[in-house]
Amino acid sequence: MQETLSIFVKAIFSENMIFAYFLGMCSYLAVSKTVKTAVGLGAAVIFVLTVTVPVNYLLENYLLKPGALSWMGEEYAQYDLSFLSFIMFIAVVASIVQLVEMLVEKFAPALYGALGIFLPLIAVNCSILGGALFMQERQYSTILDATAFAFGSGIGWFIAIVAIAAIREKIRYSHVPAPLRGLGITFILTGLMGVAFMSFGGINYGEGKEKSDKKDKTSEVHSTPSKTQTSQIEVTNQ
Amino acid sequence: MSETVEKVKAPGEPLFSKKNRKLITDPLTDNNPVTVQVLGICSALAITVQVNQAIVMGLSVIFVTMMGNVVISMLRNIIPSRIRIIVQLVIVAALVIIVDQILAAFLPDLSEKLSVFVGLIITNCIIMGRLEAFAMGNKPWPSLLDGFGNGLGYAGLLFIVAVVRELLGSGSLFGFKIFGDSIEKTGLYSVGYVNNNLLVLPPMALIIVGIIIWVQRSRNKALIEDH
Amino acid sequence: MAFNKESNGFTFGFAIALVVVVGAALAILATSLRGTIAKNGEDKKRLDILSAFIDLDQEKINRKNAEAEFSKRVDMTQSLVIDAEGNVVEGKDPFEVDIKKEYKDKNLDPSKRSFPLFVAEKDGEKVYVIPVVGKGLWGPIWGNVCIAADKRTITGASFGHKGETPGLGAEITQKYFINGWIDKKISDDSGNPITFKIVKDGTGKGDAVKVDGISGGTITSKGVEEMINRCMQPYVKYFSTLN
Repeated sequence: MQETLSIFVKAIFSENMIFAYFLGMCSYLAVSKTVKTAVGLGAAVIFVLTVTVPVNYLLENYLLKPGALSWMGEEYAQYDLSFLSFIMFIAVVASIVQLVEMLVEKFAPALYGALGIFLPLIAVNCSILGGALFMQERQYSTILDATAFAFGSGIGWFIAIVAIAAIREKIRYSHVPAPLRGLGITFILTGLMGVAFMSFGGINYGEGKEKSDKKDKTSEVHSTPSKTQTSQIEVTNQ
Repeated sequence: MSETVEKVKAPGEPLFSKKNRKLITDPLTDNNPVTVQVLGICSALAITVQVNQAIVMGLSVIFVTMMGNVVISMLRNIIPSRIRIIVQLVIVAALVIIVDQILAAFLPDLSEKLSVFVGLIITNCIIMGRLEAFAMGNKPWPSLLDGFGNGLGYAGLLFIVAVVRELLGSGSLFGFKIFGDSIEKTGLYSVGYVNNNLLVLPPMALIIVGIIIWVQRSRNKALIEDH
Repeated sequence: MAFNKESNGFTFGFAIALVVVVGAALAILATSLRGTIAKNGEDKKRLDILSAFIDLDQEKINRKNAEAEFSKRVDMTQSLVIDAEGNVVEGKDPFEVDIKKEYKDKNLDPSKRSFPLFVAEKDGEKVYVIPVVGKGLWGPIWGNVCIAADKRTITGASFGHKGETPGLGAEITQKYFINGWIDKKISDDSGNPITFKIVKDGTGKGDAVKVDGISGGTITSKGVEEMINRCMQPYVKYFSTLN
């Protein structure tokens, strides 16, 4: 459980989709002019990520991974469909977005009013496909971990876009050099925010404090229990 | 993708007519996909730490935009409009898989470094943007040039960012140590020069792009936004 | 045009045709490249193991001759697989054991993990190569550690990483960091494992426990420390049964 929680927190801060990997920058730059629309798009991203990543996780583990087909019988165990993963992931994302759009429109018209126009934009938002690809690359061991990662990434993205939208609303009243106005200053601001977010990288997520009966868990751990609380954020070091 | 379809009339004109040349040269400067059209920043900036990664990424994107544009342009009259987006996605995804497999087979070390970012070419907005805005309405040849131009504009920007970051951040270009050895303290390092480690951190890529935009827009006032 | 491209029938037909064509093309490509890609992975593994005890650049070993050099220098008939308690496991090919999977697979009981041990020859002397995996600041780190014929002394190592900060954590691949590990002993005189400790003050040289870390790369260095301390345990047990 603790591990799941740390995946979740990590996905929000130190592995933030925008500030650490620049995923979903297109819509991030295009839809961050006002806080209101940013909140809408951010919420839609959280929603879609949390839905698509677990689906893609199942797809990856029961269809695409080498040996994933073994549930169909021994003779299928040797098949490796992983070369199809990009196409499958993007197809899943596109169709789920479509499906979600229809369902939301039918059953929650109020929500549709708020999210509706953003949903189609999301199919080509890199952070959604990026979520699926990172899930595949990091090979989360349970669907719960994968979902926690997806939800955390979504929240991270939400925080990023709402924060930049708020700054952009304010910066309209500042004297930005003319050639930097709009896009240029947004890039630089995002860069500076990214630098700030890097300091989350040094956080000790407490993985070192596993109970001693779970000795095996230390396999994934890089911290030593002897570390004191104060040294846990080593901002200046990395 | 809200741009209106740009039509290029090209009956009977030479292959490299002025208009066609413009398709290539425009995206390099005044209509650069990254700094002006604001497309496709997503997948790329994380891999601009080293120049050769940036070049391979740039070449992959050029290949995918070109081929994607050509294929879609050839199919443009028979693609049912209702499933247009998904058809485009499928074709782009297939092309990206081809690139990914070829990289994994012939450039394994680079392919490992690029990891998920090759896959993310699929959702690179440049590609979908050009397919929707150009290839759906133009013949294959202009589409090919348009794809090439936009891919090149993108690759060029990646290259510039990567050169700055690798040279100032790691003191090397293409992995060759330009300023001497930072550990043995030879060359420039012997007089106290140190690498700017900030530049190898991902956020600096954004700041460099911001500065490039600044330079570009102060030279071309037409591009300046009024907030 | 003679047909209606917006009709349902055509839309379905188009979709199916597209999927079949694209699927077939990709399947052909993937099958034809699979061999090369698989070999790339194996060669990488071979190079990693070799790099623990020889300088690849100096010996001009690269992907092209990895297979030949590997079979020349590593004795696969003596290489073996051990379990967590240091007992030899029969009937497993050490090259096939993926140490990363062994540690990561949560369905696998930790006591049932298998650990490969490669036996190689360096300048006529028998050496052991132990693959290790761990976690750095941003992602996985890994390496291979070479143990001398006395079954205690580290004589070489190579480390790799996925995405550590260049210039800081990524320096674990550099010679000066690796040299800090050389001549350390993985077990004390009575055969108990030694727990290494990364230090920042540069006092690691000549010390039995302390190892010099990388300034600015604290968390990655700590990752290496943890990786070595953990991964050496079964091997120390195995080596103590030999004496």
